[in-house]
Amino acid sequence: MSLASTDTMKAGPSMLARLFARQELALLLCLILVIAFFSFTAENFFSVRNMTNVLGQASLALTAGIGCAIVFISGEVDISIGSLLATIALPLIIIMNDTNSLLLGVGGALLFGLIIGVVNGYLTAYAGINSLIVTLGTMFIMRGGVYLYTGQRAIPDDAALDSFIALSDGRLFNVVPYSAVIAIVLLVVFAYMMQHRPFGRQIYAVGGNPEVARLAGYDVRRVKFICFVISALLATVAGIILAARVGSAQHTAGLNFEFQVVAATVLGGVSLAGGIGSLTGMALGVLILQFLSNGLRGLGLPTEWQLVITGMIIIAAVAFDEAKRRRIVGG
Amino acid sequence: MEMSELTQSSAPRRFLGGQLLGSSQLVLGIILAVLCIAISIAAPQFYSEANIIAILRQCALVLIVASGMTMLIITAEVDLSVGASLAFVGCIGMAVLNSTHSLALGMLAALAFAGGVGLFNGLVVTRLKVNSLIATIGTMMMLQGGVYLFTREAVQNHHRLISFTDLGAGYIGAIPLPVVIAVVIFAIAAVTLRFTTLGRYLYAVGANERAVRLSGVRSERLKLFAFVVTGLCVGVAGMILSSLMNAGQPTAGRGFELTVIAAVILGGTSLLGGRGSLFGTLLGVLVMKVIDNGIIILGWNQDLQMVVPGVVIILATYLDIIRNRANVG
Repeated sequence: MSLASTDTMKAGPSMLARLFARQELALLLCLILVIAFFSFTAENFFSVRNMTNVLGQASLALTAGIGCAIVFISGEVDISIGSLLATIALPLIIIMNDTNSLLLGVGGALLFGLIIGVVNGYLTAYAGINSLIVTLGTMFIMRGGVYLYTGQRAIPDDAALDSFIALSDGRLFNVVPYSAVIAIVLLVVFAYMMQHRPFGRQIYAVGGNPEVARLAGYDVRRVKFICFVISALLATVAGIILAARVGSAQHTAGLNFEFQVVAATVLGGVSLAGGIGSLTGMALGVLILQFLSNGLRGLGLPTEWQLVITGMIIIAAVAFDEAKRRRIVGG
Repeated sequence: MEMSELTQSSAPRRFLGGQLLGSSQLVLGIILAVLCIAISIAAPQFYSEANIIAILRQCALVLIVASGMTMLIITAEVDLSVGASLAFVGCIGMAVLNSTHSLALGMLAALAFAGGVGLFNGLVVTRLKVNSLIATIGTMMMLQGGVYLFTREAVQNHHRLISFTDLGAGYIGAIPLPVVIAVVIFAIAAVTLRFTTLGRYLYAVGANERAVRLSGVRSERLKLFAFVVTGLCVGVAGMILSSLMNAGQPTAGRGFELTVIAAVILGGTSLLGGRGSLFGTLLGVLVMKVIDNGIIILGWNQDLQMVVPGVVIILATYLDIIRNRANVG
């Protein structure tokens, strides 16, 4: 490993090395390799139907991943999103059952998500409690609250509104699932914000070096607070899509979801240390993992193998990334 | 280490008295006392011998793993794979017992496996420089998948070894064997942390790894040590758990990692490393399990067992921050 690295340094950066220096390009290459591999090996993998299906499945992690990445970039973590998925499904389904209105249901869910985001953000940014502890706490509280309220039973969607069901079944132009459209629109909007708006730059500054950001006149607490609210609202959108897909409010919804999203985000090159990474990288990370698990299923491997292989890939990817970073710093 | 003590204005941790009076453990001790008094007023059976033994038995598993986890978090690393490893260890231990009918071999297999997981985590973190939160999420996924590839259903007890049943259900005098094991492991870990050079270095690595490395100590080895110790603790706990359930359950241990980490954090150990104590962890475990027990004894809905610890972790950390601010100001 070290020998190889000194070789490349003597020879000057090769084409491949330059390509890999750009995180997103390396990830894109990985994604293409994954898709190419399974197109040749797995049956029915390379079809428009399957590709768009995977996009639909990825929409949950994509949507929540935007929030996860933004919170990471601001230098904090949010692991409460899995429990949040189960929590906001309650007001959503209950209000829809009572009023037969999708708008009111979604409004109720977003209001719940907003409150959760405000609580997470306030406790972290203003009360100054470590965000891992805060969101670990709210994760317990929300999951326990859902269990308490539902008595560990699913609440079915009795209203069965066409517009709600379309969230899981409907496809734009009969091709792209609506859930994927929502995820892509949100991704584009937030990627634009992160790269081209002052607030995006503030988030990078706060995560990169809070002290410098403070001296530059940024309100560090406010920035972090808003990041948590954004994360909770985006996870709420993911939760609404999930509720539409399963057609009920499930008390077990989103178990371990936070770990999947965190893994995909880190795979996408967003650093836990803050200030580093991009939403494009996060999205590529999510897609790589989703295509991988879809392809492995296509090969007929049991779901357990997907977990094992995903775990190995996450470790390998971060290790590779770290080795590359050290080579740059060291050189 | 001296530096961190000055800057964080924490009490000297070498003296038990100073530690009791000066730090978050005092708050935690008061919380524990208030809880015990409140619960026993509402439900007098709280102080029955049977109930106290039940609480201690509940504490044992968490305390065993939390002993290793405290060391690990003091070195500024964390292990999220302990829950998944706990389930896997139980299945492997039981399978080996079934085929060899030897408790020693079963224990050895469990310890080897769990220690191996710890070693793997440690090597990934120290050699490949992967953030331990991510590395152990990866290991957690591999173990969760792996245990189902190993066995799809619970590994039943076909060997009927009495010594194995005693591991979970036996007594020494009036004290359950798991509690004795937990106390021994806790004591060894506490002495190591507080009275040995090794323990002092563990704190130092967590507080300022660069300084430790510059002073000629191999910090990676210390972290590796903490990972392996945590793994071995999981091995012991996994065998006790499978003895208590009389089977190796692949679904066991779900959420266990969070309970353990919550207890350690509640005990005042900082996730940033370099600060914390096993005595605090003991209090943290006791508070969590007394709350659990109180909820059952008072006949409240058991789902509160998730809600209340969540509130307690946040509150306790917040109190600690306020107290630190008051000290500094």
